[in-house]
Amino acid sequence: MVRITLENLTKRFGNVIAVDHVNIDIGDGSFFALLGPSGCGKTTTLRLIAGFEMPTEGRIYFDGADVTDLPPYKRETGMVFQNYALWPHMTVEENIAYGLKLRKLPKSEIKERVREVLGLVKLEGFENRYPSQLSGGQQQRIALARAIAVRPKTLLLDEPLSNLDAKLRIETRAELRKIQRELGITTVYVTHDQEEAMSISDRIAVMNQGRIMQIGTPQEIYQRPRNTFVADFIGQATMVEGKVSDKDGRIRVETAVGVLEGIASRDDANLTVGSKVVVSMRPEYFTLKSEGDVNAIKAVIDHIAFIGKSQRLYCSSEGRRIIAELPPYVRLKLGDKITLYIKKDNTLIIPL
Amino acid sequence: MQIPELKTTLREVKWELDGLSVIQLVSVTSIFTLFMIIPLVSVLYYAFVYQGSFSLFWIKQIFSDAFYFPDSLSSMSLTFYRRAGGNRILITGPDLGVIPNTIFVGTCTTIFATVIGVTLAFIFSRYDFPLKDYFRVAIMVPMLSIPFVGAIGLKKMIHADGFLNTLFYEKLGILPVKIGVEGLAAVIFVQTLMFYPIVYVNAFTAFMNIDPAMEEQAKNLGSHGFHLFRTVTLPLALPGIEAGAILTLILSIEDLGTPIVFQGTTAEKTLTYQIFTKIFTPKGLIRPDATALAAILLSISIFSFVAIRKYVSMRKYAMLTKGEAGKRMISKASKLQCVLIYMLLTGILFFALLPHIGVFLLAFSETWGTRLLPESFTIANFRAIFTNKDVIRAFTNSLSYSTAATFLIIVLGTSAAYLVSRKHIPGMSLLDTLVTLPISIPGVVIATGLFLVFLNSPLDPLKSPIPLLILSYTIRKFPFTVRSAFAGFEQTHVEFEEAALNLGASRLKTFVDISLKLVWMNILAGGMLSFVYCMNEVSTGIVIGSAKPEEGPITLKMLDVLYMLAGGPHMTAAIGVILMMLQLASILVSTYLLRQKATALISI
Repeated sequence: MVRITLENLTKRFGNVIAVDHVNIDIGDGSFFALLGPSGCGKTTTLRLIAGFEMPTEGRIYFDGADVTDLPPYKRETGMVFQNYALWPHMTVEENIAYGLKLRKLPKSEIKERVREVLGLVKLEGFENRYPSQLSGGQQQRIALARAIAVRPKTLLLDEPLSNLDAKLRIETRAELRKIQRELGITTVYVTHDQEEAMSISDRIAVMNQGRIMQIGTPQEIYQRPRNTFVADFIGQATMVEGKVSDKDGRIRVETAVGVLEGIASRDDANLTVGSKVVVSMRPEYFTLKSEGDVNAIKAVIDHIAFIGKSQRLYCSSEGRRIIAELPPYVRLKLGDKITLYIKKDNTLIIPL
Repeated sequence: MQIPELKTTLREVKWELDGLSVIQLVSVTSIFTLFMIIPLVSVLYYAFVYQGSFSLFWIKQIFSDAFYFPDSLSSMSLTFYRRAGGNRILITGPDLGVIPNTIFVGTCTTIFATVIGVTLAFIFSRYDFPLKDYFRVAIMVPMLSIPFVGAIGLKKMIHADGFLNTLFYEKLGILPVKIGVEGLAAVIFVQTLMFYPIVYVNAFTAFMNIDPAMEEQAKNLGSHGFHLFRTVTLPLALPGIEAGAILTLILSIEDLGTPIVFQGTTAEKTLTYQIFTKIFTPKGLIRPDATALAAILLSISIFSFVAIRKYVSMRKYAMLTKGEAGKRMISKASKLQCVLIYMLLTGILFFALLPHIGVFLLAFSETWGTRLLPESFTIANFRAIFTNKDVIRAFTNSLSYSTAATFLIIVLGTSAAYLVSRKHIPGMSLLDTLVTLPISIPGVVIATGLFLVFLNSPLDPLKSPIPLLILSYTIRKFPFTVRSAFAGFEQTHVEFEEAALNLGASRLKTFVDISLKLVWMNILAGGMLSFVYCMNEVSTGIVIGSAKPEEGPITLKMLDVLYMLAGGPHMTAAIGVILMMLQLASILVSTYLLRQKATALISI
């Protein structure tokens, strides 16, 4: 289909920088997510790609061709809006056929294509309904059908699942990914839900305050966060500040909770003795048993949150908050003094 | 602004301005420039030029004339009433000179209308009582303000020998003396009854939009009754109330119909009446001292509009919930409260409906002397109207001018609303102000300006006033449609349009297929209101129309009928009844189209 390249893309609204020198290369046919908290610039980036906003600086290329100055109606992107934007005065069929009529396809082919995409989103027979007669999930799928009916070069999705309830969201995203694979269409997906982004995407760009914080596969982003923002935003992590005290093979860091050893979160970290760093530890990597090459942290349990599949412990150690997740069957109570172990390979040292 | 920034801004403007918006922007701004801005500027120009150079001569002359502006306390008449023969007391109001009179009338009308409107709004937004819906309709009846007619009807009612005195003095013997109302007092009386519904509607919307949790929280902390009203409810509703009040003030000082009906008393000593009667020299030229009066009137109303608009928008409180949230706060009135509410409503309604009752009685009677009611009823007046070629022609004139103006208003108003709502270009808020500004510009001032600019031009009103009549209607009644269409666009998510653009529809196609289809009801409803107000336009209609009376509108003809024909008031009332029915029908249709949204149309 098409490769999307964003080059130094910047968008300013008055004094606010919504998108700040963003460089992204989205491969042909891949599923790419823009992930970040609200106001991070992800939706603006998507709207820049669609042509609804004009960049203050930078260029946008589709397959190497500069589309920066093209109006939205000449970009051949298919967009699914957060609120679906199904036209209430048109039936499902008229909604889907709108783009096809603009392309002056013969009537019979329009009918055929409408049937085809309705089959793809599993809503055959809904042609004559009005949007108000559809459930949220059905509206979402019709919006997707309308976008792909014109066989766009790229598919742009702006938080398409955020108005659905939790269970439907999980079902729909699997379906969405399936359809995208079948069509092999380059897709940009905006979401603030990190679990959603990780489960669906080939690659993710984590954004904050208009800037790209990290681009990578879901695994890279979760296991090797480049900075504290990504470590904190993706999943949960206990973070303790410290200073590098030794560096041969593993990195040794002096912290308030003791000396911790771990691996650098990125290869270009350039850590030297004395560097200020943050040690990041995922709650699910903590155990109560010392096995293999581990760090140990002595802590007191302040609060236990029972989740069901696990229990989350909020502990304190030398005035620092340590969060650990343990199996639900371990018997613990408030005030227990415990030692938490974490493998050194799972202890990440993030440069500041 | 630095050069690179300017370049970016220019690029952004170029990006936003496609062919469609350029056409829209150019046509709206050029119409407003030609037929509003330039005329207003020329009014100011003529007012400030004496013998070829800038001078305060005319302004000084007006302010040194005690007729217009008192030079000392002694030149003002501060007696509010006088005794007359036949055991009568005439309430006249003071006479402070034309300029203070205008401000005095505006202020009093605004205060009275606000007190009545807010009281009614509070009752209707917080209490439930039997027959409430009927009362709600009844208190809105004065919104059917038909030129001259309300004033004519009321004049008949409050005259020293009129209905009220006959009823309360002669028949019932409740009053010890006959009380007549005339002069400024009569203008205030009539205007208060005409305009209180504007405050009511705005205040009611404001009360209903208050998040119930605000009052509940205050009650939870121990506040109740009047204290609650004074400290929480009223302050939160204030922006809405102020919007209604300022509109009332502006409508009051620009009202020309009422002073005309009460001419022969101090009601003549108001700015609009003075401009109207003095603007032309016998040779049909414009008198510069009258343009100075127009400039003064213009500054008073624009100042009120701009000052309060700024003040109100600064204090708009963001509410957590919107719409009819206030429904939760309506409580059933107790027996005692019911009695009090009924007494109050009956009292207000008695006076508020007087003009309309008076008009109907006049329209269906031939004579109505000093008796309580006319002796006999007849449809002769209607027959006379329908057989009077001049009246029919004037009526057809008004219908065609109003239709043409409404067409322009709908096309240009929709364009302006679309631009303001959708285009992120510097200066769009200026456009917004420009197209709502006509609310605050007195009709006589626009009319004066149009004369100044277009005399001896291809659009010379002395040759034919038709183009200028249509265009002045267009400008004056523009805000109703713009407001309505703007509300429509604001309620329609921009994503609907972006979805069409995304699928490959051009801007024009998107505008026609999506934007217009989604807001046409708002546009039509607003257009309907604009049409009705065009039909009823007094000030520009009679000033411009009088350049060539046979091409004048129905309002000009009414004036003619009122003073020239035998049985004038009766026939004018009959015309009024027809206009009233037309207006009622249009308002019903547009409220049906908009349902509750209609309330938003008559606020700033």
